[in-house]
Amino acid sequence: MFKTTIRNLMAHRVRLLAAALSVVLGVALMAGTFVLTDTVGAAFDELYASVGVGTDAVVRADHAVEGQGEVQRPPVDAALADQLRSVPGVARIEGTVQGYAQFVGRDGKAIGRPGQGPPTLGLNWPSDPRLNPFTLVDGRAPDAPDQMVIDRASARTGGFALGDTVTVLTKDAPRSMVVVGIVTFGGADSPLGASIALFTTTTAQALVGTPGRFDGFSVVAAPGTDQETLVANLRRVLPPGTEAITGAAATAEQQAASRKGLAFFSTFLLAFALIAMFVGSFIIANSFAITVAQRTRELGLLRALGAGRAQVRRAVLAEAAVLGSVASAVGVGAGIGAALGLEALLNAAGFEVPARGLVLQPRSLVAAGVVGWLVTLASALLPARRAGRLSPVTALRDVDLDSTGGSRRRLVLGGAVTTIGLAVLGRGLVAGGDAAAGAVGLGAAVTFVGVAVLAPLLAPPVGRVIGAPLAAIGITGRLAQANGVRNPRRTAATASALMVGVALVACITVFAASGKASLDRVIDDSFRSDLVIDSGARGFGGLSPALATELARVPEVAEVVRVRLARAEVAGAPTMLVALDPAGASRVADVGVQQGAIEALDAHSIAVSTSAATAKGWHLGDTVPVTFASGRQDLRIVAVYANRNVAGDQFIAIAAQEAYDMRLLDAQLYLRYHPGADPAAARRAVDAATAAYPTASAQDLTGFKAERARPIDQMLALIYALLLLAVLIAVIGIANTTALSVHERTREIGLLRAVGMSRRQLRATVRKEAMIVALFGATLGLAVGVGFGWALVRALASQGITELRLPMAPLAVVVVLAGLSGLVAGAGPARRGARLDILRAVRSD
Amino acid sequence: MTLTTIVRPDADAAAAAVPASSAEAVMAIDARKTYGTGDAAVHALDGVTVGFGAGALTAIMGPSGSGKSTLLHCLAGLDTLTDGTVLLGGTDLGVLREKELTRVRRDRIGFVFQSFNLVPTLTAEENITLPLDLARRDVDQAWFDELVDVVGLRTRLGHRPAELSGGQQQRVAVARALVSRPEVVFADEPTGNLDSRAGAEVLALLRRAVREFGQTVVMVTHDAVAASYADRIVFLADGRTVGELIDPEPEAVLDQMKRISR
Ligand SMILES: Nc1ncnc2c1ncn2[C@@H]1O[C@H](COP(=O)(O)OP(=O)(O)O)[C@@H](O)[C@H]1O
Ligand SMILES: [Mg+2]
Repeated sequence: MFKTTIRNLMAHRVRLLAAALSVVLGVALMAGTFVLTDTVGAAFDELYASVGVGTDAVVRADHAVEGQGEVQRPPVDAALADQLRSVPGVARIEGTVQGYAQFVGRDGKAIGRPGQGPPTLGLNWPSDPRLNPFTLVDGRAPDAPDQMVIDRASARTGGFALGDTVTVLTKDAPRSMVVVGIVTFGGADSPLGASIALFTTTTAQALVGTPGRFDGFSVVAAPGTDQETLVANLRRVLPPGTEAITGAAATAEQQAASRKGLAFFSTFLLAFALIAMFVGSFIIANSFAITVAQRTRELGLLRALGAGRAQVRRAVLAEAAVLGSVASAVGVGAGIGAALGLEALLNAAGFEVPARGLVLQPRSLVAAGVVGWLVTLASALLPARRAGRLSPVTALRDVDLDSTGGSRRRLVLGGAVTTIGLAVLGRGLVAGGDAAAGAVGLGAAVTFVGVAVLAPLLAPPVGRVIGAPLAAIGITGRLAQANGVRNPRRTAATASALMVGVALVACITVFAASGKASLDRVIDDSFRSDLVIDSGARGFGGLSPALATELARVPEVAEVVRVRLARAEVAGAPTMLVALDPAGASRVADVGVQQGAIEALDAHSIAVSTSAATAKGWHLGDTVPVTFASGRQDLRIVAVYANRNVAGDQFIAIAAQEAYDMRLLDAQLYLRYHPGADPAAARRAVDAATAAYPTASAQDLTGFKAERARPIDQMLALIYALLLLAVLIAVIGIANTTALSVHERTREIGLLRAVGMSRRQLRATVRKEAMIVALFGATLGLAVGVGFGWALVRALASQGITELRLPMAPLAVVVVLAGLSGLVAGAGPARRGARLDILRAVRSD
Repeated sequence: MTLTTIVRPDADAAAAAVPASSAEAVMAIDARKTYGTGDAAVHALDGVTVGFGAGALTAIMGPSGSGKSTLLHCLAGLDTLTDGTVLLGGTDLGVLREKELTRVRRDRIGFVFQSFNLVPTLTAEENITLPLDLARRDVDQAWFDELVDVVGLRTRLGHRPAELSGGQQQRVAVARALVSRPEVVFADEPTGNLDSRAGAEVLALLRRAVREFGQTVVMVTHDAVAASYADRIVFLADGRTVGELIDPEPEAVLDQMKRISR
């Protein structure tokens, strides 16, 4: 039995190569993601463990707000240290300060982009080596207000050496500091790619913290005191609002946070691995269907000789099992290689992944392999069932390879599956939230299957239409048109694989275009400023308030409205709360005030959108509970506005943000010129003022729109790149099917060549045939994908995606690329076809 | 009709001077085709020199395995000789490159096979015009109409091969072979798979092409009745020409066949 299985696999190895390859690619991405996650996770765990090893306890505020993956705690009074120093078991206590500080390079540009990449940090230099996670590799500790120590990675990228003067951006005005030392972090040049500036404690408090306060305290235990005892002792004297945790707990917290960030990243990659496998399942099913069809006589003979249905079915499944095992094993191996590549990619992108060799966890590798194996087996189920159903007489009959029978049944079944898929998808979209993502994915997958079931019915008419322009041009196109849909089921299965990739590309293309259009719309409709200065920071970092002060002094500038972001929980829901200058806000942006006035905002009040007010039952004059890092405040509603797309569902005054959030950096500045000012002169004056602040990019509203669109485009590019794998697998499938068509049509090709078709014409015929299959897949994909995109945009209308855009040019490019990919897929089989011996056609009878 | 039997030994044929090429549409000179090497070598053609007159229907006959198909394939540019020369008109096919050979097949030669003559996905009409479409040449509508009427397929033009009878399929193949007005039409047992009535129709068609349009036709057959449609019969045995008949009658053909298959 096993021997026969192997023999059959070998006999059909070329046909099954595509199936195997698609398994290998899907498994490789999955295994690669697992290995990378394990490797990076272990590296981070070790890193945090090694740098936290000297800290026995941490004292800090006991309340915090979370947002955008970060936890924010209020600083505590520096005087607490004096109180704690006498606690039994405390050998040493030091306050810590950490905040935004960014180096300016020799070219005048800021180094790093904390809005997108690793953070740029300023810290105080811990005087006790046990509490210092950094290792001085050159120079010495800072001991004057104009001195700092920097990380070796920044020294390298900025070209900074000991004694150099480097400009540092903080919440203060830009200032020059002398580099007196260079450090490494737990063996890496920088902690995970973050840039590090270490100041004396007083300087750090002034530049990146709050004078007289610390973020928390690190404590070293006296010999003989364990961490638990130390913490217990500290707790006895701690004032309300503060807490103490063991050093081990603090390390575990950091490790958990890094794991959480990693999980997000790996889930993202795994989604694409699953897509690749889903696409691969079409190729696998098609490949097995073809081998079964080609062995119809042989299998019929087996049945005639007394083999049972189950035996025939098992024979096919056994082949799938063997193929799946081999391909999955190869895929896991390839995945380990892919992990190395992904790691190199991360390092190239500026994330310093500590080098420590790959971590190969058997659990992860087995998981990836088993998934690939199961997908292979599941994909072969239908072909196996069909093989089992062959009647013994088929062995004696000349069978037509294609039996598209039961088209009514197909229509009903395909229609039903598609409808169910769309229903599940729709429910997921309407429900929203994280849990709904699964429903959306499942619904999309089921919809794809439904359309794939319907595809054989669509292939002949649609394929003919697609091929019509080619057929009109010449005989090669005419032949390709006919051949493309000659075997509707095979064409449909092949095209369906491409459909999935194209649909996902089309969907996110529609979604991204709609998102950008919606942003543009908001800016066009509601923004009135002459200039916007955007720091690019979203939750960390920003512009020193000194810049706003300087700009206000520019004669042409009538008004500067500051915008900041504060982490807060509004009525229990975590948000990045917008804070702005209420006085001028209405003159730079129109939020459509319905009741009250923005100008009435002060340190104790809030403005809310009508939709939030309706949802929560709030009215003008009510109070809303808002929890900041510093604690809970009840803010009174002084304005209700209609347009939630400008600043979200609620916003507060900068006065409130400064009082409760205590971060002083501006995220954006909106500028209005004096009515009579010459815009060109005004712009020059503003540019002169911002010259010393390289993170401040001044733009008019047109430029601002383009800048807001950029992250969307970057995300789009990344998703396109990851979907490329799914498309690649589909193209392999097209090549496979085309090669098979050529193989089956040896005689016909010989005939064509005999009556005068040149090799070049034959190649063109085969390539065009593959192109028609690809274009059919692209057409299905476009229809499904645009539908998905439309549904997605509609579902997110309440999230600010108010505009629906069908970007014709990019969608046309997708179709053209799909057609080209078909040409490429057909090239190999075309060459093989052109080499066929003409006489084979004439002779073989 | 006089019965003329000229049996010439091979040596004579080889020694004979090259016939006046203007009268011969296509000819083979000392053609040799060997398959395999050493002990396993099969001499499918073992020094054949023969010419086929323009405007005539010539039949090639011989026992199975005598090299008829091989000769035809080599004459038609579908296969190449191991040694010797094929001249089509004035053209030596042996020196042509693949591309030129393809063009010769397309523009100067028509071919009718025993079976599987038509492209299944194309209609009868598209099959007929295939050589012209491949050459990107316009269809001479008057000629096409005349051909369609001659082969009697006017009502079947939109049908696909699967919807045609065997005889109809062969007639489509004949029309296709004639459509580009080639110098020579080659037919390899064109009636081999047909019943006698359908076969007779196809043969009549070929002869009509010769009589009315002055077409040159070379046809392989082992059916004496089929061969009797020919103006001349060339006999092959063991890869050599072993005689010929001019204006043959069926009985004479059978007689000759009996003699060479001994
Ligand atoms: N491709 C080939 N390889 C080996 N031998 C061949 C091949 N084609 C033909 N032959 C041999 O050449 C001889 C002549 O074949 P063929 O021309 O087909 O004969 P006919 O058409 O007269 O029956 C036969 O012995 C046949 O076996
Ligand atoms: Mg033969």
